[in-house]
Parts: sequence; structure tokens; C-alpha cells
Amino acid sequence: MHHANHFYGHAHVLARYAGLGDGHPPRINGYVQHGWNIGDGLAPGHPYAEGTPSLLWSEQTRRRAWSVGRRNLVVIGAPFAYLLALRPEDPPESQRQGTIWYPFHGWEGQHVRGDHKELIARIRDTEPGPVTVCLYWHEYGMRRVRRLYENAGFRVICHGYRGHWWRDTDPLFLDKQLTELRRHRRVASNRLTSAIFYGIAAGCEPAVYGDPMVLADEDPTFGGTARIRRQWPELHGESVDLPTAVAIARAELGTDHRCTPAELRELLGWANLQEERVDH
Amino acid sequence: MTTETAPADRIVLPGGEMLAWSDLPEQRTADGVALAALAARIVPAGARVLLAGPHDPAVLDRLAHAEVTCLLRSYPDGVALAARTARVVVGGPAGLPEGERFDVVIAGAGLDPVESVEGDRLGWGGVLGWLADALSPGGTLLLRVDNPLGLHRLVDATPWYARRDDAAWTIGGVLDSDHPANREQVRARLTDAGLRPGACFAAYPSAGAASVLLAADQLDRRTTAGFFDAVLHDACTGGFAAATVLQDPARLAVDALHAGHGAALAPGWLVLARKAPASDAAPALGSPANLPVALLQAGPPGSDVVEVVDGPDGWRWQTTAGADRTGTAVAPFASREAAYRDPSVLIGQPVPDGRLLRTLLLDAALRRDLDTLRALLRGYANWLAGQAGDDGRIAGAAALAGTDNVVVSAGRYAVLDPSWRATEPLPRDVVLARGLWRFAAALLTGGYAHPWASTLDVAGLTVVLGGLAGHDLDRATVSAAVEAEAAVTAALRGLDADGRVTLVADLRSVEPTDPPAGPRGYQQLREAWLRQRDELTRMSALLKWTEGLLTSRERALRRADATIKLLSGSLSYRVGRLALTPARLARRGARAAKRRARQALAPQQEEQQ
Repeated sequence: MHHANHFYGHAHVLARYAGLGDGHPPRINGYVQHGWNIGDGLAPGHPYAEGTPSLLWSEQTRRRAWSVGRRNLVVIGAPFAYLLALRPEDPPESQRQGTIWYPFHGWEGQHVRGDHKELIARIRDTEPGPVTVCLYWHEYGMRRVRRLYENAGFRVICHGYRGHWWRDTDPLFLDKQLTELRRHRRVASNRLTSAIFYGIAAGCEPAVYGDPMVLADEDPTFGGTARIRRQWPELHGESVDLPTAVAIARAELGTDHRCTPAELRELLGWANLQEERVDH
Repeated sequence: MTTETAPADRIVLPGGEMLAWSDLPEQRTADGVALAALAARIVPAGARVLLAGPHDPAVLDRLAHAEVTCLLRSYPDGVALAARTARVVVGGPAGLPEGERFDVVIAGAGLDPVESVEGDRLGWGGVLGWLADALSPGGTLLLRVDNPLGLHRLVDATPWYARRDDAAWTIGGVLDSDHPANREQVRARLTDAGLRPGACFAAYPSAGAASVLLAADQLDRRTTAGFFDAVLHDACTGGFAAATVLQDPARLAVDALHAGHGAALAPGWLVLARKAPASDAAPALGSPANLPVALLQAGPPGSDVVEVVDGPDGWRWQTTAGADRTGTAVAPFASREAAYRDPSVLIGQPVPDGRLLRTLLLDAALRRDLDTLRALLRGYANWLAGQAGDDGRIAGAAALAGTDNVVVSAGRYAVLDPSWRATEPLPRDVVLARGLWRFAAALLTGGYAHPWASTLDVAGLTVVLGGLAGHDLDRATVSAAVEAEAAVTAALRGLDADGRVTLVADLRSVEPTDPPAGPRGYQQLREAWLRQRDELTRMSALLKWTEGLLTSRERALRRADATIKLLSGSLSYRVGRLALTPARLARRGARAAKRRARQALAPQQEEQQ
């Protein structure tokens, strides 16, 4: 299985939903889109075997991927949508308060340009209630960055390590994220990212504002931040229309394309497992 | 040639007969039953009928209520039919008794086979002139005209202009201006011959062996009718089953229907025309208002023809006039077979309106419209669930209701032809899985584009379709559905136990890279080959990727193994190992040096060996 299928414990969530338990997930016959994506659903720079199925979140991504030459595309919806089906009401609505804020992150190989202090001032001016800042593990590990947010009076958390080459994947990454999202009324970020869509799907009001913190070596292939703002203007701002946001999140996460367990087992190549289960 | 048994008094030989020729096939087929049913409809009791050209004896059987004269060019055919008819004239049309007139003239094989090789050439127009003259005032002509640009020619692997069979002493075609080449030209030629053209029926799957006759005007107008869709698809799949063709005739026929060209692409037409009546004559039978929308032989060869008629409440099923209903309604082995046909349940029943579910699903799959697929399949599954009894089993026609026999209109589902019935009720999930398996097999082997990965096999896609329908089917249910499909197909085809076993094995081994069942189409075979090639490319890329990954993982494993050994050994073990390692390496080097020296010293010995 491609190691990216394990990012954020995606394969673990799908295996749980498919009825294969909490153990190590079997190999997936394909590449699971591992984040909201304005390209073909696959992470740029990763090597892929030609013709292997791409398991994508949304119909729009499928059309786009086809148009850039990808084939064998299947829309299955985001793993987060499967987690929502596994945990429809936990924790309860009554516990919601404040905002969970996701400062945009790159991945390990990228470096964010931008001023955290300016962003903190903007958050304090905007958010009405208590703020939880969720940092990517890379920034969470940078004591200087973490201190900046802590000193502003924000609660600073990290959902865990997404994993790399099958190592140190936190299988409960998405679970922790869902738990945190359901504890907040709002979800916000300086960029439209997976977390915003997850938040909307988890019942939060979304907001996207502040310096988008451009990456030093951002890949311009699919238009970058500017294109995101052009294509989804209705999701940008300190306050956005909730029904519109819910409809867009539903489409982007492919919630309506969520498969049944038996269907998913077929699409992921799990119907006739040849390998021994490894329960760790 | 044998003439001893011929009732010579019934055979008239005016000259021009072909003594060493026969137009009738050696083995009787039921090719003419739809034509026979139509002929029976337009021939009043006691009418004088001229059957011009060769016809299936079934036509004669259905005209027992009339006085029939056959006009044949073949003497052996005349001898064969003489016992079944009032009179046989063997020769060209010029040999018809002068001054004799007929109430109905039927040229169900077209005009070309009416003409003999002997004597002067009359041509299409000349023969029509003779037959028109033979009609009495108010009389009716039923004429078959072959379409030079019909579906049969578009799919034929042999070009029409390259025929070399015995009947091809001349080849008529679109180049011959004497032959009408479309329906408008036919109408014009009939008018020129002093006749008034009337209703026209499109003949499928071939003009000479039409199992269905469909009213051309309705076919042009009702382009989305699920009934026409299913009938054309079945007729063309069955009619070309043993043929090698350029492309799938069923696909082409259904596409033509949807484009409003179902009649224009028909392999042939049966046209009615009438001679102006005498002023005091009463209207004859068979006026266009009375004619059916469709006559079809729905069932295996030998089945009777059923009609669909138009009425104030829409289309209805009806038996054909004078049909032989002495056969049992239930198949002879109904008690042992999984399915049987009972045409009697059709009579008087409405033909449900709507589009064919298979076509709707194919369209949604081609557009990769998962939402529509989900809605259609959920509707289908829910409708099936509503047909189940308290025990969760579905009986009768609904138990066999696949996507190719269900129509959908405004969200309502209905069985199109309920005459096919299951002998024993089937579990609801098996019925659903069978319908989905049949669709999945047709979709994948047919080479249709679809929104799923090429890695899915037929059973896998069946489960996926079940998921879209909101039913978590497992592979065991799909396996039971394949068994049920084999049992039903065996019953419909009349297979014995061995045939059924073979069929089950065949169905289980259907792969997405196989060509579809039915006619061997060049396009379909090529597409299957392309799918196989793509699959090999995918597998090769996957193998290369896996090899690379394995190498990388093996390296990581060696590193981890070395680390484990280093960390897990005792202190004395590690010290001893550190001390011995240089000595071991030195010994390895000494051995290598010794080997090289030995090789250098003994080259001649090696050469001698």
C-alpha cells in the first residue's frame, strides 16, 4: 500500500468502517486522496504506479483529475465522512463553545512565510469566545511558534503526527480532530483547507480570514491560494453563509458518495484479502 | 428432382420456372411468424390472396381462412407447397392468369425473388406493375422492401456489394435507381403504380427473418419508449447471436431509436398499400386505424406472436388474431425448470409506460453520474422489496425483473413483459443481485465507460451497485444470484443438466476483459483486447512499483536487524565481535587473494577442460 494512505490514520478509519476492526489496516488497492485538494487529488511529488486507482473525495476532483490525464478514478468520499458515520453524535452538541483556529501549515519539507503575531492580533479582534489554536505537529514542535500562541491566551493543541512511511502514524488523528471540532462553535483558518471542511461537516460555523501565509516554494500548478479565493469566495470572510458552506462541504468531502461497508471493501480491494491480519 | 408426389392439378406452369432452384430453407425456421400474424390481420375471411414470392409455410398456415394462390419461381418449392394451398403458379409474374384479380397480394420476401432467372428482366418496378395490376379494386398490397442502408448492412462484416452466393446473380442496391432506397421513395413508387400507400412497419432484426414488426410512425415518435428499447435490443441480440459483425447491432438499434431513426435504419419495411376501391365498396379489414403498434415473437423460436395495440388508455398487450393457442401456457418442464413463459398473463394488460431501466443506468454510468445511479438503483431495490412476500421472497414475474425488463416513469417501476415468470419464489436479495450482476456483466464486457476502477471484477461491481442501491450485498449472495441466472437462462434456452453446469461455469468465469456475450462484434472484440492490454500495463507498473518498494523495505529490515543485534547482544559478545571482525575480514581477504593467484597460475588447465 502507498504510505500516504496511512496519513492521518485514513486507512485505519476506512478499515474500521469496513468492519475490519481496529488493527493494522490491510493494503489498499489504490491511492486514497489524503487532503482537500484543488488538483487531481494526489499529492504532488509522490511517486505513483501508473493505472492504480485513485480513490477521490469528490466528483469535481474526479473531473479535474480526468482532464489532466489521470485514469481509473473512483469517488468514494473523504475518510472523514466515514468517521462521521462511525461517530454520528460524539461528543454532544451541548459542549460546544468558542473557536478552533487552524493556522495554515505546509508539510515537513515546506516553510511558511508570514507573521504569526499579526495573525494572532486578527484572531483576538475577530473571535468572540475562547480560542483553541491547533498547530500542525511540525509547528507544534517549534517552541517559539507555540509560545506565541500560548502567550496570546489561546489554548494550543496538536491532533497528532500524520505519519510517514508507515511510521508513527497516529491512527486516532481524525478521531481527535473530530472530538475537538465538536467542542467548538466555530472553525477558522487563514486558508481554505481540509480542516475547514471537516469543521463544517462536524457542525461548526466556518470562517477564513487573515494572511494566508504563502509557502516559500508553493506549487503554482493548480493556481494556489489566489485560485482558491476566486473559486470559493463564498467561504472566505469572518462570517460566511452557513447553508452555502454546508452544501459546498458536502460536495467537497463527497459525503453523499460515502459507500456502504461491503461496497468499500470491494473498491479498496479488501473483499478477498490474501494477507494475514497483523493486529498492531 | 422429384415430382411424383406433387398434386399436379394444383401446379400451373405458364413458363419461366426455375427447375434447379429453391428459395425455401432446408430446415424450417420460424422466421415468418410475425409476417404471418400481420398477413392474417389484413386478409378477410374468404378473400382471394396472391402470395407472390417465397414465404415461410407459417404464412400459409395462418391464411387457412382465405383462398391462396402462390406465385413461385422455384419448381421444387411449388411442389413442396402445392399440398397446402389452392393453387401454385410456378414462373415469373408474367405467368399470372390474365384478367384474374386478388383481394390481397402479399410480397413478403420483396419483389426481387418474385422474378425468375428465365425470360426477360422486369426489374423491381416491372414486378410491382404486374402485382398492382393483379389487385382488385379496393384490394390491399403487403410489400416488403429491403433497406439498402439498414442496420444489417451497417453491422455486416461482409460488404453488401461483394456477395457471391447463388442468389446473387444480380445485386440490387442503393445504386440501382429502379429500387426504392427509403420510405419516401417507396411511397412515391407505390403511388406511381396506382396504389395508395398506408401503414409501414419496421422489420427487425432482419427483413427476411423479422421477429418483430414495429409501426414506423410510432417508432419515429416514441423515441424514449422502454418497450421499443427492450424489443429492439432483444431482437437484435438474438437475431445476430451467431453472427460476426462490425459492431453491436443491439446498441446501434437502440441508439437509432433514441435518435428518432429507428424506422429509417430498419433492415426492411413492410408497407401496406391499397388500390382505389369501387365507389360502392365497404372499407376492408386492415385499415391503418386497426393495425397494431407492434407484432413480436417474444420468446424462444416456436413461440407465438403477441401484439401491442394502441388505445385510449395507451398501449395494451393482445393475442394475434387466429393464433394457435393449442400449446400449453406453461413450459413443458415447468415443474422442474426455474422459469417459464405464460403469454396468457399479457392479454389485455397495459404495456407500462416509461424508459428502460438498463438504458437509464447506462446513461448515468457513461456520464459518471453517481447521484442518478444511486437514485435509480435505490428505486429499483425498494420496488423489488415491495414485491416480496412476508417471507422476503419474490414470486412470479417480479422475481425475474432485471434492468432489461423494468421500465421507469416518474419514479414508478414496473415489469415490462410479465409473461416470463419464476417457478419458485426467490429471496429478495438474490433477485436484486441477479439484476445487478446482469447489468454489471453487460456494462463491463460491453466496454462501456463507467465511474469505477478497472480493478473491479463483475461480482465486485455487483456488490458496489448493491451499495449504491442501499443494500450491503455480500459475495455469497452474488454467487447465489449467478446460480439463479444460470437456472433461469437454462430454462429459457431449454438446456439440459450438462448444459446448465457448463453455463454456471461460463457465467462465473466472466471477466471485465472478456468481450460481451452474443454477436462477435469487431468493435467489442477490439475493446476487450484494449482492456486486456491496459490491465497488463497496470499490472506491470504495479509489479515494478512493488519490486522497488520491496527493495526499500528489505533494506530497512536489514538496518533494523543489524540494530537489533547490536543492541540485544551482551557486553562480552559485543566486545568479542568487535575484536574478531577485523580478523574475519582479513581472512576473507586472504582467501580471495589465494583464489586469484590459483586462477592466474592454472589458465591452461581450464582451457583444456
